Amino acid sequence: MAPVKPSARQFSACFRCVRGDASFNGAPRRFLSSSAAREELQTTSSTSPPPPPSSTPVDAAKDAAAPKETPEYMKQWGDLDPNAVELKRDERRLIRREGIQPIGSRRRRAIIARDSAAKAEQIPFEQLPYQCFQEARKVLLADREGKLKDIKTQITRIENLKAQDPAVSGGEAKKATRLRSMQNHLNDLIVLADINDPLVKKKFEDGEGDMNKPIYRYLADQKWRKWKRLVLEQRIEQFNLVPDLLPALDPIADVDLAFGRKNIPIGDFVDSAISENPPRLNVQTFERGQKLVTVVVVDADVPVPEKDSLTYRCHFIASNIPIAPDQTSIALSRIQQQSRKTENVDEQQVALSWSPPWAHKGAPYHRLAIFVLEQKDAKALNISEIKNEKRDGFILRSFVDRKQLKPIGVTLFRTKWDESMEGVMQRNGLEKEVDVQFKRKKIEPLPYKRRTERMR
Amino acid sequence: MLLPRILAPVRAAAKSPLIPSSRVLDVLRHPNGSAAHAPAPALSFVRHASHQAQGRANGAKDGPGKRLGAKKAGGEYVIPGNIIFRQRGTAWFPGENCKFGRDHCIFATESGYVRYYKDPLLHPKRQYIGVALEKTDKLPYPQNAARRRRLGFVAVQNEPQPKELDGQTVVADLQVGGATGSETSITATARNATTLTVGKGYAYRHANYDIGRVAERANVQVKEFVPGDRWAAWRKSQARKKRNEEAKKLRNAGKKSAKPKARKRRGP
Repeated sequence: MAPVKPSARQFSACFRCVRGDASFNGAPRRFLSSSAAREELQTTSSTSPPPPPSSTPVDAAKDAAAPKETPEYMKQWGDLDPNAVELKRDERRLIRREGIQPIGSRRRRAIIARDSAAKAEQIPFEQLPYQCFQEARKVLLADREGKLKDIKTQITRIENLKAQDPAVSGGEAKKATRLRSMQNHLNDLIVLADINDPLVKKKFEDGEGDMNKPIYRYLADQKWRKWKRLVLEQRIEQFNLVPDLLPALDPIADVDLAFGRKNIPIGDFVDSAISENPPRLNVQTFERGQKLVTVVVVDADVPVPEKDSLTYRCHFIASNIPIAPDQTSIALSRIQQQSRKTENVDEQQVALSWSPPWAHKGAPYHRLAIFVLEQKDAKALNISEIKNEKRDGFILRSFVDRKQLKPIGVTLFRTKWDESMEGVMQRNGLEKEVDVQFKRKKIEPLPYKRRTERMR
Repeated sequence: MLLPRILAPVRAAAKSPLIPSSRVLDVLRHPNGSAAHAPAPALSFVRHASHQAQGRANGAKDGPGKRLGAKKAGGEYVIPGNIIFRQRGTAWFPGENCKFGRDHCIFATESGYVRYYKDPLLHPKRQYIGVALEKTDKLPYPQNAARRRRLGFVAVQNEPQPKELDGQTVVADLQVGGATGSETSITATARNATTLTVGKGYAYRHANYDIGRVAERANVQVKEFVPGDRWAAWRKSQARKKRNEEAKKLRNAGKKSAKPKARKRRGP
C-alpha cells in the first residue's frame, strides 16, 4: 500500500472505519468490553477531559523486544507507535516485531499521528477554540441536565407507585402495566441522556464500550439491526428456516459462528473436515442481565430415500449455558470437554454431544441451523431428560414447546459431499454410508393421449 | 327562439320583389345574407378529422387464436415441465411447486396434482396455480407448517473401485502412474478396448480414450520428429509451397486470367 498524503490518508482511514473490513456478513463485532458489572449512566464521560495517550505500552514493548535481538530488516521498519500506526502494513509490522496490538480504532490512530506530525497540542474538548462547537456543547449539556432531572423524578414516581395500594391504582394488573410502561420510559431516558455525548460515540466506535451500560447496548443493537440482522432475516427467509424448523422467529441476539479461527458467514458451505469438531459461538445479547440458553444444532435436510422425503436430525444439544451482554463466547468444544470430565449428570451441560455433519455423495446440500434458545425465567433444565431426545427425526418445534424455550438467535451453515467427507464418515462409524450415492430419480413421461381421449 | 334582429334580413327579403316568398328563409342559410343576389357555388368536398379509409383501419380484429388457457385441469396429474396454463399477462400466478415460463405460462416443477386456488395470506388479490404432491392435499398449505418436500433422489450402491496396481496412484480421479514405458504408466495400464459406452441418448460409441489409441493398436509407425533438423524442415516447407501453388493453379484454371493491375505510381 502506497503511503498517501496525510490529509487524504486520514480521510480514507475514516472511510475504512465506517465500513470496517466488512465481510459480506457485516463487520466483525467490536463493541464488546467486559468490566465490573455496573448498571449506570456514563456519568464521568462528559465532564472530564480524555486522558492524554500514554506512551507506557510503547516503552514496555520496547523493553520486552530488546533482548530478543530483532533482525536487521525489521529494524529498518523504523519506529512504530501503537498509538499512531495507521497503515495496515504498519499495523502488521507492529504486531510482528513488537508483538503488541495497535491501540484503539484506526481513525483515532490516524488523528493522533496527524496531530503529532503537525506538533499540535492535545487540547481537551472544553478548551477547543471553536465558538460554535462550544455553544453546541452547551446545548447538549443542558439537554443532558434536563434528562438527568427527568430520570430522578421518574425514579421517585416509580417508587411511589410501587408503594401504592393496588386498589387505589386500579387493580394488580393495571398497576403492573403502568409500572412496566414507566420503567420503559425510564430506560429510554437513560439512553437519551447519553446518546449525544461525543465521548460515548467515540468509545463505542473504538470498541471500548462497556456492554453493561445501557447506552452501549443500545448503540450496539442499532448497529446490528442496521446491517447484520437484515442479512440474517434474509437468510432465514431464503433458506426457509422459518417454516421448516420453527413457525416463527424474531432474532434479538447477534450470533457469530466460527470453526476454530475461521469465521463462517451465515449459510456458507463448510468443509466437512473443518466441521468435524464443534464450532465456537459468539452470542451478543442486547438486554440487561444474565440468561440461561440452550444451543441446538439441527440438520434440516436428511434424506429418506425409502419414503422419497426428507427429515431432521439433531447434531448437538447443550443446555444451561449462561450468557450476558459482556459474556458472549460459547465454545461448544470446551463445553463438551467439561461435560465429559464431570461425573454428575446434573452439572453437565451437553445432552447430545457433537456429531459431525455429513452428506451422501450426490445428495442435495444439508442446512445445519444453530439455534440459541432462551430458557424460561433463567431456570436450569434437566439434562438427563434431554439426553433421551432422539437424534433422528428430531422435531425442533416440539422440543421448543416442551421445554418452554424462546428462540433468541440463529445462525446457519451448509454441508455437502466433499473430498474429506469419506474420512469423516469413516471416523464416525458411517462406513456403510460411504458407498451409497444419490442419483436423480427418473421421472416417467406421461403417456401420449389424443385430445379426445384426454377429454374423456 | 328567434330574435327579431335575426329575422331582419328575412323581413327585408320578403319585401324585395326579386325573391319568391317560398325562398325567403334561404337568406338565413347564407351567412352574409347576400346569397340571394349572387348564389355561391357550394363546396362539394369537406375534409373531416383524418381517418384511414382503406384497409383494416383499426388493426386486425380476427387473427388466428393463440390457444391460450388451461392445458391441465384441476386435479390432473402433471410431471415437471408440464405446462399447466398459457396466458397473456399474469391472470394466474405460480404457487406451490410451479414457476413462470418466459411468456408467463405456468409450468410444474414437481410431479403431482394441479390445484387452482387463492392464498389471501400471501396476497389478497392473486389467484394461484399449484401442484400438490399428494392427491388428497389441499392448497394452500397451512401458513407456518413445515414445507412438504420430495427428495427426488434414489440411493444407489457405488460400484467397487477398480483395483490399483502397485505404485499406481490416483489423485482426485486423475490416474497418475510411473513414467511412460514403465509397467504402471497410464498407457501400459490394461483397459478393455471393446467396451462400448452409451453416448448422448441413443447411440453406442467408443470412449474417447479408446478412439485415441486406435493407431497404437494398429501399430502405425510415425516418423519421429527431430527438433532442430533444419534440412528436413526446409524440404517440408518447400513441398508445402509447391503443393499450394499447384492447388492455386487448379482453382484458377476455369477463370480468365485477369491483367495484373497497373501499379499506381507514388510521388511525382
